[in-house]
Amino acid sequence: MVAKCQVISLCRSLLRAGRKYPDYNIREYTKRRTLDGFRMNGNLTDPSKVIEAYAQGKQQLEVVERVLKVYLAYAYPPKTNHIMELKV
Amino acid sequence: MASMAAASTSLQARPRQVVTAVKCFSQGSRSNLSFTLRPLPTRLSVSCAAKPETVDKVCEVVKKQLSLKEGDQVTAATKFAELGADSLDTVEIVMGLEEAFDIEMEEDKAQAIETVEEAAELIEEILKAKA
Repeated sequence: MVAKCQVISLCRSLLRAGRKYPDYNIREYTKRRTLDGFRMNGNLTDPSKVIEAYAQGKQQLEVVERVLKVYLAYAYPPKTNHIMELKV
Repeated sequence: MASMAAASTSLQARPRQVVTAVKCFSQGSRSNLSFTLRPLPTRLSVSCAAKPETVDKVCEVVKKQLSLKEGDQVTAATKFAELGADSLDTVEIVMGLEEAFDIEMEEDKAQAIETVEEAAELIEEILKAKA
């Protein structure tokens, strides 16, 4: 059975990992997707479903971290800032 | 969720009146201790250990994250649960605070945050350690 603190720390790790992307779009997407995903599954009561959702979350965390490494090593650092990031 | 809330309320309950020890220095070098009841000030200006600017900034971030209206009161003692935030909202708020102050909070300390005051104190601790 997955404990509440485990779920919260998984959410936090996902948000933290998503923050590191240099690309604005991917950053915003990971943040939006994790929060939506956790809120959607927040009311699950069936223990097997909870474990399934938690395992899915763990897999996504691995994906985020792996792709982050690829981006940081091989892909562009953006030369110009995204317009949404301009401080008005 | 309910058990966590119950545990936190029992921890946070503070007596409305504080028993303080008032030291009276008599003519000689002996100091006498006498106890009086002092009513707690309703404005938390003295009992909060964090600086008011930090607390204000934290309140601003909280208000923005939870989309509170202007009139809603957010003081140092406000618990996030009182403002209608569940644990996910609290995680979001903590992330927002990390970005606003440009700090990194540890997992277990961040999990323990329940009120605005605790957040402000933890932030100041980290800022002091960084400086």
